[in-house]
Amino acid sequence: MADETLELDIVTPERLLVAEKVEQVNIPGAEGDMGILPNHAPIISTLRPGSLSYEVDGKSTTLVVTGGFMEVAENRVIVLAENAEFANEIDRERALASKAKAEEALAGAKLSEPEFEEAQLRLFRATARLENVDGE
Amino acid sequence: MPNLRDIKRRIRSVKNTQQITKAMKLVSASKLRKAQEAMLRARPYALKTKDVMNSLAARCDKDQHPLLNIREVKKVLILLITSDKGLCGGFNSYLNRKTNQLIKENEGNEISFLFAGKKGNAFFQSKGFSVVEDYSGWTKGYKFNMSADIAKKLTDVFLEEKADKVYIVYNEFKSVIQQEVIAQQLLPVVPGEAKESGQEVDYIYEPGQEGVLEQLLKMYVETVIHQSFLESIASEHGARMAAMDNASRNAKEMIEQLTLFYNKARQAYITTELTEIVSGAEALKG
Repeated sequence: MADETLELDIVTPERLLVAEKVEQVNIPGAEGDMGILPNHAPIISTLRPGSLSYEVDGKSTTLVVTGGFMEVAENRVIVLAENAEFANEIDRERALASKAKAEEALAGAKLSEPEFEEAQLRLFRATARLENVDGE
Repeated sequence: MPNLRDIKRRIRSVKNTQQITKAMKLVSASKLRKAQEAMLRARPYALKTKDVMNSLAARCDKDQHPLLNIREVKKVLILLITSDKGLCGGFNSYLNRKTNQLIKENEGNEISFLFAGKKGNAFFQSKGFSVVEDYSGWTKGYKFNMSADIAKKLTDVFLEEKADKVYIVYNEFKSVIQQEVIAQQLLPVVPGEAKESGQEVDYIYEPGQEGVLEQLLKMYVETVIHQSFLESIASEHGARMAAMDNASRNAKEMIEQLTLFYNKARQAYITTELTEIVSGAEALKG
């Protein structure tokens, strides 16, 4: 076990999901996935929809996060996600349905830009959810 | 002499009212518990967003983002969060009073409103302010989406320069029986003091400082509005519970008084009747 740990907080507008000391966090940053280890340089990054995982005592836990931010400073990781859920909370049927719906909307074209972005976001989220459900 | 039947009728009617106020109190109490939990769960998010925002804004120039720009104030927009229903004591009237005060402070400026809640709308409707949007009926089912929606509208209005300053007026939840009316400036965003732990930290920004600032500000505005709504919901139930508790107690007092009055009247009635019988008998004996 590593000597040093990171303090990880994951919060959404609905609840506080995680407040723990962890050894590593893998975060889906806007410009690529990042692995954060203790003594990481301070960073603020936006998140893209995807899976976030962290390790405590070698055990890994996965969540799906959508949108928001993370800040790393002085061995503290704060994840502010607009939406987050544990992988084992995901409802496969619902994710499938929303993926199909988003794909349909995208295929239909003639969307205004915000509508397009919204549909795209939903597709990303649904895909991220499914990856996690099927991965187990 | 008061009519016995009338008094009895009044007692019955007060009792009915008391039953209603008692039921309303219980309903509010259980809703309050839920609202309070939701509010407390959301607080960490609001606080952390604010922290990150402050620490970022401290490193940015004021003119780096239009939402931070302070312009000369000519037009003011007020987001007023009230309840849809009454019977909650001074909950709405304090809000309206505070808003009136805000209007006075902004005399000479053009004032428009975004209403959330029927009570605010009803109060200011006749005064001829322009209304950007009306979210009456929001208390039926509040979702985060609504705040995101409102945040989008407010920032759009601000960026299109249809308002130079945006206020939010709502009740903050202090305790179950206490609320405080808050009138807060929402836009332009005024960053608070950053909690600096010693040396200046150089952050890496992904994707770039501007991109982060853009998203963070958007999120910050949404969060402030969201939190205000949650506070308002909890406050409303708290206020209603207190008001209904008061009403039930008053009803109880009134019933006691009326019962006493009723008994006295009945006693007097019996006494008169007895006197009449006795004097009648006396007369017959004559």
